[in-house]
Amino acid sequence: MTNKDSNILWETLSSVKLILVLLILLAATSIIGTIIPQGDTAASFAKDISPALNRVFVTLQLYDMYHSFWFRGLIGLLTLNLIVCSINRFPGTMKRFNSLPKPDRIGPFRDLSEQRTILVRGDLSDVAGRVGEKIASLFSRMEKKQTEQGIFFYADKSRYFLFAVYLVHSSVLFILIGSIIGSILGFEGFVNIPEGEATDIIAIKGKNVNSRLDLDFSVRCKNFNVEFYEDGTPKEFRSELSFEVDGETQKEAQVIVNRPASFQGISFYQSSYGTVPGTHALLSVSEKSEDGVITEHAASEIKTGTIYPLPNGDGQFQIEAMDDNFKGMMGPAVQVTVMPMFGEKVTFWVLSNMEMLKLRFPPDMLESDMFNASAFAPYTFHLEELGSRFYTGLQVNRDPGVGFVWAGFILILIGLFTAFFTSFKRVWIRITPDGDEIRISVAGRASKNPIAMERELGQLTRRLGKLFQ
Amino acid sequence: MLNSFVLDKITFIYFFAFLLYLVHMVVGWKKFGALATIVTMTGFVGHTIGGILRWYESYQSGIGHAPLSNMYESLIFFAWAIILLYIFMEFRTKSRSIGTFATPLAFLCMAYASFDPNMNQAIQPLLPALQSNWLIAHVMTCFFGYAAFAISFGLSIMFLIKRSVRAENKSLFLALIPPIDVLDELSYQMVVIGFLLLSLGIITGSVWAHSAWGTYWAWDPKETWSLITWFIYAVFLHLRLTVGWKGKSLATTSIIGFMCVLFTYFGVNYLGKFLYFFESLHSYA
Repeated sequence: MTNKDSNILWETLSSVKLILVLLILLAATSIIGTIIPQGDTAASFAKDISPALNRVFVTLQLYDMYHSFWFRGLIGLLTLNLIVCSINRFPGTMKRFNSLPKPDRIGPFRDLSEQRTILVRGDLSDVAGRVGEKIASLFSRMEKKQTEQGIFFYADKSRYFLFAVYLVHSSVLFILIGSIIGSILGFEGFVNIPEGEATDIIAIKGKNVNSRLDLDFSVRCKNFNVEFYEDGTPKEFRSELSFEVDGETQKEAQVIVNRPASFQGISFYQSSYGTVPGTHALLSVSEKSEDGVITEHAASEIKTGTIYPLPNGDGQFQIEAMDDNFKGMMGPAVQVTVMPMFGEKVTFWVLSNMEMLKLRFPPDMLESDMFNASAFAPYTFHLEELGSRFYTGLQVNRDPGVGFVWAGFILILIGLFTAFFTSFKRVWIRITPDGDEIRISVAGRASKNPIAMERELGQLTRRLGKLFQ
Repeated sequence: MLNSFVLDKITFIYFFAFLLYLVHMVVGWKKFGALATIVTMTGFVGHTIGGILRWYESYQSGIGHAPLSNMYESLIFFAWAIILLYIFMEFRTKSRSIGTFATPLAFLCMAYASFDPNMNQAIQPLLPALQSNWLIAHVMTCFFGYAAFAISFGLSIMFLIKRSVRAENKSLFLALIPPIDVLDELSYQMVVIGFLLLSLGIITGSVWAHSAWGTYWAWDPKETWSLITWFIYAVFLHLRLTVGWKGKSLATTSIIGFMCVLFTYFGVNYLGKFLYFFESLHSYA
């Protein structure tokens, strides 16, 4: 790259026009993502449009446009533009910051209104001394000069506010750095934990559907509660969690929406809930004698994994598995294994409402051995009720960049406030003999809001007048 | 509910105030102007009482939250903020002509809130995600910001009307509009206030989203549109402060900015009804 080329590049990047073009481009292109569905919802939309259009959308990454190469490119370019602009303008600001204007300048006094001058009696140097004292107490810097014409003061305040605009622009950098750190070192995931259970594996949201993360600790959902208002809208979701390392509880926390819990830098947010089969089922057993008489035995609570005796003591049985909606369509079911005193084990599924299912599914399907609840004669098993329990759905995040983002937020607010509502104020005061009186003239300039400055100068003139009453 | 009854009536008071401001500008009777101010202030007092009443009634019915939680309540607050800012402005500038352009905005908000048959005026309990102290800070800053942008929009319209006519046009209506450089300065000041409050609104929303869902920014359509609005007003401020634009082009920028505000507020919600995928976390307001 030649020197000339680099100059053109630098000039382009330091132009305010480019900033404006980029801001408008970012605003305009951002609209796309609010019209075309993004992320998970995109799949059904993609089917509805023509394949050619879909290909264009995919190439331009319009289904995830806020993370697309070109959108990130625009943000990157804007950032570069911002940095170059700031570097380019900084020396000028420094110069203004360091410069100390001469106290006996004439310019500020041109067209000075009569209201900005007062006439007082007294000795010139005495008057100047008292004025100087007052000015020194009101301003941060003061410079005095004595000439044949009289005594002159220059004073200013709020010099540091010249840098407010850099504060605003650097805060944008803080926010961007925070978001980059977050996207590289952080993650967003989720986990469903049934009441009473613990897990140390979470699913990670992202491009790979099956990506997961092993935590260094496990999270147990001790309890989950949902409360409703009278009209049925949800009022509160509450999970009682405990964080365990090597089986030992290190921390307990209650998580509700808007009040997450953190452990080892990872935060857990209440996000959803649902039900899963519990550990109990209400099972009843009926017995058919050889002459066809059916004896019903009372239903009892059966716990998974525990072995129970059969009514006549001719064997044992247990529940091996539970499913609250078998095959996703057949309703609640439990898998029962019978272990007879003599002979082979028998395993089958007991479906809860066989009569209903018979209307919906082909008979030969329901008559298979798999669903034969009478497979171990003379007993027939009936599923009366499947216990269920809640699971809590937690959003699990780690974002080490969030501190930078918060810092950026605070800086941008401080910066905007100072940039808009304060200004660098400079005043010149001239004390000259006028006949046998002494004339004090007050002039000034502000970097912003000239109307407010005029008001302040009027106030200053009155205050100086009061010194000599 | 008593609060809705009171607030419905405020709609008519603001409409009456608008008529008075308009007659004042067309006919030029000073008494009409003074009356318009009195009517506006009366409306504002009633409006404030209506809001407090709604707050009180929400506690009476056992729900208990600040009236800032759904579309109806946000419209009521928006109109309230517009009138409050306008009253400040009238006292500062001593010009009543701005009232002709500000009161109809508040009236339209109130009319929409009170008389749209699909508007749910009931006090609803807060969903878990809304149960946060950030709710009040977020809604207040956003809508005060929107109100400042609305006033700037009104001033820009006034600017364009005043600019577009020749100097020899001596109609009273135009004569009562403040000089264009005053309008320009006032409009800029309103954008500054609006920009600061919008920034605060986006930031409080972002911090809130982080505590509710774990992400401070999710490119939700409402978030995105608020950012688009922020970009447009950022352009406005750079045009004015860095490029040195003034006048007509800047007034147009302010109008475009306000169109973005309207889309952020209403458009995002209503587009959602046409596009099935348009799911917003802000569906309630």
